[in-house]
Amino acid sequence: MLALDIQNLGKIFKGKKRQIVDALQGVSLTVPEGEVFGFLGPNGAGKSTTIKCLMGLIRPTTGSANIMGVAAGTEASKRHVGYLPENPAFYDYLSAEEYLSFVGRTFQMQESLLQRRREEALKLLELWDARKRPIRGYSKGMVQRVGLAQVLIHDPSVYILDEPMSGLDPIGRALVKEIILDLKKRGKCVFFSTHITDDVEKVCDRVGILLHGQLKLVERVDTIMTQGIVGYQIRIRNSDGKSVDHQVTKDMLDGFIAGQVASGNEVVLVEPRRKNLEDLFLALVHNGAGSSS
Amino acid sequence: MNSLRFPAGLTIAGLLIYLMLIGPFTSFMKNKPLVEKLGYMPSVNVLRSLSGDQKELAGASLVMKVLMYFGGIVGKAQEGRVISEPPDLQGMSRLLHGAVKLDPYNIDAYYFAQSFLTWDARQFKVANALLDYGMKYRTWDWYLPFFAGFNSAYFLKDYAKASEYYKKAGELSGQDLHRSLAGRYMQEAGQTELAIAYLSAIEKGENNPAMKKNYQIRLYAFRELHRIELACDRFRNEQGIMPVSVAQLQQQGYLDPEPVDPYGGRFYIDSSGKVKTTSKFAFATKNK
Amino acid sequence: MITIIQITLKGIFRDRVFQGIMALAVLFLFIPSAASLSMRQVTELSITLSLSLISFILLLLAVFLGSTSLWKDMERRYTFSVLSLPVSRTSYLLGRFFGLALFLLMTSALLGTVAGLVIKVASGIYPPGRPIVWSYLLLAVIFATLKYILLVAAAMLLSTVSTSFFLPVFGTICTFLASGITQQVYEFVHSPASANTISPFLKTVATGVYYILPNLSGFDLKVNAIYSIPPSGYGLGLTLFYFISYTAMLLGGAALLFARREMK
Repeated sequence: MLALDIQNLGKIFKGKKRQIVDALQGVSLTVPEGEVFGFLGPNGAGKSTTIKCLMGLIRPTTGSANIMGVAAGTEASKRHVGYLPENPAFYDYLSAEEYLSFVGRTFQMQESLLQRRREEALKLLELWDARKRPIRGYSKGMVQRVGLAQVLIHDPSVYILDEPMSGLDPIGRALVKEIILDLKKRGKCVFFSTHITDDVEKVCDRVGILLHGQLKLVERVDTIMTQGIVGYQIRIRNSDGKSVDHQVTKDMLDGFIAGQVASGNEVVLVEPRRKNLEDLFLALVHNGAGSSS
Repeated sequence: MNSLRFPAGLTIAGLLIYLMLIGPFTSFMKNKPLVEKLGYMPSVNVLRSLSGDQKELAGASLVMKVLMYFGGIVGKAQEGRVISEPPDLQGMSRLLHGAVKLDPYNIDAYYFAQSFLTWDARQFKVANALLDYGMKYRTWDWYLPFFAGFNSAYFLKDYAKASEYYKKAGELSGQDLHRSLAGRYMQEAGQTELAIAYLSAIEKGENNPAMKKNYQIRLYAFRELHRIELACDRFRNEQGIMPVSVAQLQQQGYLDPEPVDPYGGRFYIDSSGKVKTTSKFAFATKNK
Repeated sequence: MITIIQITLKGIFRDRVFQGIMALAVLFLFIPSAASLSMRQVTELSITLSLSLISFILLLLAVFLGSTSLWKDMERRYTFSVLSLPVSRTSYLLGRFFGLALFLLMTSALLGTVAGLVIKVASGIYPPGRPIVWSYLLLAVIFATLKYILLVAAAMLLSTVSTSFFLPVFGTICTFLASGITQQVYEFVHSPASANTISPFLKTVATGVYYILPNLSGFDLKVNAIYSIPPSGYGLGLTLFYFISYTAMLLGGAALLFARREMK
């Protein structure tokens, strides 16, 4: 079953003074169960708009979306989802423990299960010591971790995370990556938005790049990595024992190696030189900017 | 630390000016003429709208305002000071009429209004009209017809109306006293006794200290008057002629000690032989 | 919805609203001495003051809690986290409403008890002209509470359409003031005296406004409680159903508007 099925999703905001903002145009995208999908785009590209449409916080102008086969925005669809808003805020008069209990109750979890999961989540996200304090007194990173804890507590099959790494220190970011990889191992679908390419490279199966409300590219991350190879760095040791590095383009690789071998040199190292996701992303952004202007 | 100098200085300067001002300000407010203190009352219709669902509270606060004002006047009169301005009886009446428009059940307003409208303002008809208005609402209350009955008998000399009111009061209270009152005191001669009986009944039930004092003073004046009347009667019985003055009664030993009018007036015997006082049972005012 | 009610109540208590009420309720201690200033109706005045104080506290709660409850959730972005939980917007709104209504009920139960004690004390100092009928007093407090619960619903309706704090707060206050005088205006407009001065158009408009705005004067049983006048059972029944129907309309409208609202 498709975890996420987005068809021709579009959103036009009508601002004041009859200003019209075309925030999202005909986005179609499907994400199967068990996949980690990175939703990449610069600020203001429409990532959060897409996600808010999925969560029923705003109504799409065109198109539709389903979550686990259920129309997005309905109560039934939200049962399948753990959602972390961008820069989240939670009832700050509650403690982390109370807030997690509140979330668990809205998902109608059994009290004993809720207690066990709550403890696990609080310990995993290093909130255990602060669990009795009101959220009001938490740092930004702690609030973000409460957000992750409330996503994990009811063990949904789809995780929709809007900028999960923002506001976290390097240790926290590593923890989030670990959590996402763990969810992937358990066959969960994770759909997260970010503007940091490195995060996507490390954990995602596929990536979608959104620019100016349009989905420019959807591709497997490993394909991008292989396609992105633009050349190789080859270290050759010649007969008198000296090592020399050569830069070779992709299509000249075979010929170059054959030639070296033929001349009796030893190929010590072949390292692909690749254009990474960031280069691809930047290239797309610049092209997009060029074409639209 | 330097950054705190300005706010600290500001606070201290403010405090100093406040301390300098508070004394004069308080005494200014205290010595503000009483008429001004009664204040302006917006039209009843506006007040009704503004008070929303708190009409009873608004009514009670108007009554309180009048009462405080009046309490101040009684206080000053007792200190022996002649009131510098006449009490603003019109203003008091206006406020109390406003109060019963807001809360037609407020007995304080009726009670107080009928008290000063009669004795002080001599507006007997206005007082009884107000009491009639109240009787439409306070259908269980015998006090209102009791007051109105006294006003009719004592001030208006309308004995038919008075006995009508007393009958009503008697029916509501279930006490024969009120029914018999009108009949007993229809003659001129009984007026003082009627007033004493009426005032002592009210004084006993009075709770507010200022009002109680007010009634005690009036009662005292009437008892003094009654003492002179009794002396007059004795004089006539024994000598067969009417006394011509209060002084004559004193000189011939019919009256001792000398009667004192707490309102600062002087008792005298008029040409028809009736004992009266120059104060008319109200405190003198300069403008009079 | 029960969970929303729970956290609504928890929020009110954690925000020290209750302590604020207690601070105001200290005024109850002064009622007996203030009432003793009265000449003939010490008990009546103490009932007036008690009921007015209760009304005042409930009004403050209704206006501020009612209009800030939803507004604060949107302003502080709590709605993103809460509305994405499997909670429908309607049950979220109703949960908020019933939480506030429950809090008003609790407050008036507590203040009503305090007022009862105060009145008892005052009536001990100076016996009332008419015996106090405690059930009328209870009815007066209950209907005052219902009135302010209705006002909470009006405040919530306003805050579903507003992006700022001012419309709900001032709108609710205006509604409250207007609701107290609509009956008077209506009666004036329809009186024969006004026939010459009021144009038919204005008359129609005033009548229309009368039917749209809530008429809260029926909920005022203070006179009955203060002077022990029996309230009309028929009137109470009508008022109760008026409360139910009008609140239902307000909440239904609020839920419709809130469901359409975009959480940008």
